[in-house]
Amino acid sequence: MKCEHCDIVERRSKIEILYEDEEVVVAIKDLSITPGQITVFPKQHFTILEGVPENILEKCSLIANKIGIAVFESLGSQGTNIMIQNGLGAGQKVPHFAIEVVPRVENDGINLTWEAKQLPEDEMETAFMTLEQGMKDLDSVEEKEVERKDEKGKDKKIAKEDDKDNYLLKSLRRIP
Amino acid sequence: MDPQQLTPEQQKEMEEKLKNMSPEELMEFQKQQCIFCQIISGKIPSKKIYEDDKVLAILDINPAAKGHILLLPKEHYAIMPQIPEKEIGNMFVIAKRMSKLILKVLKVSGTNIFVANGLAAGQKVQHFMIHIIPRKEGDGILEAEGKLIDEEMRGKVKSLIEEKFNELLGVKKKVLQVEAESSDEEKEEPEEDGEERKEEKKKPSKKGKKKINKKKVVKEKKENKVEEENDDKDEEEEDDGGNASLDDIANLFK
Repeated sequence: MKCEHCDIVERRSKIEILYEDEEVVVAIKDLSITPGQITVFPKQHFTILEGVPENILEKCSLIANKIGIAVFESLGSQGTNIMIQNGLGAGQKVPHFAIEVVPRVENDGINLTWEAKQLPEDEMETAFMTLEQGMKDLDSVEEKEVERKDEKGKDKKIAKEDDKDNYLLKSLRRIP
Repeated sequence: MDPQQLTPEQQKEMEEKLKNMSPEELMEFQKQQCIFCQIISGKIPSKKIYEDDKVLAILDINPAAKGHILLLPKEHYAIMPQIPEKEIGNMFVIAKRMSKLILKVLKVSGTNIFVANGLAAGQKVQHFMIHIIPRKEGDGILEAEGKLIDEEMRGKVKSLIEEKFNELLGVKKKVLQVEAESSDEEKEEPEEDGEERKEEKKKPSKKGKKKINKKKVVKEKKENKVEEENDDKDEEEEDDGGNASLDDIANLFK
């Protein structure tokens, strides 16, 4: 599958890289809401936010924040938008998770906004109850995952100890 | 308090009071005036989706769409650059959970994670927040069109930003180097596990001497460790395959 961001990482694209390390790439793409828009994304291919490991997401967010500060100070911006388009329905164009940093000035005519709605109370309440229940379900699923991981961790520890024994045995054998 | 309701004398008095305040007092005053600080302290009721000691996630009462969540730091910060790095990372991790929640329980085809820093960026209240907005195609939310930016312009942007950005990253690097130099002959901490010890041997210059140094160095290593753990997690998630709705959203691209 063709991925614009992987192409940038592998230098198959004309898009210039502003910064890169082992995990994160910062690029200035040609299709932007406004000149000066900067894209921060993980080097590894993750399609949507939900697939990005926590440590990589943290790193991307910190770098996006630093880009935001750099934009404030060097492009003369009066504000920034930090945005993730997650899923086709959310306007995501490239199937590779990214954080966009959009520099803003007053009255720049950029339509990065929405119409605030006044929903009927019962509709708000149903949305709330659905999310509240969903949160409980998510918590219990994640607890189970943690438990399972703990078990896996134990297995690994045992395996490591075995290795250690083997190593000792091997070195014993080496003694003439 | 609405300033228009004050008499001219009261208004003058208020301005005078504000002028004489120390930065700390001014901060305190801002907090008192901030609706979201009052929501966090419980003075104003809200529909809470998630809460821990650092953050609160609530339903927006004037949402862009049904299920629009606001994620707030409990401490009062106006914009993202003011927030300690650790908390920024943590907030994005929680934003990911909120997005996962929305994708799982509401019938939507995506989410926007959105931050407005500054009035010019459309920020409406003085308390930093991350919006997590459920999205459907054609709902008219955050639909700014992209335009093609020519190479010359991109080069200009790069040269303007690069120096400042490297400076922001570079300061950190320098500090780490100084630490490494000033802390050569320190012994290892006993609680470190085998893998970290191996690394210690490889890079003896990174052993911490002072406590603060040590903490930072250990933190750096922890990051490495976390990476490994997360690799495991990835595999596991792939094994899992039970997360149908999320997979569907990711697979739409294929």
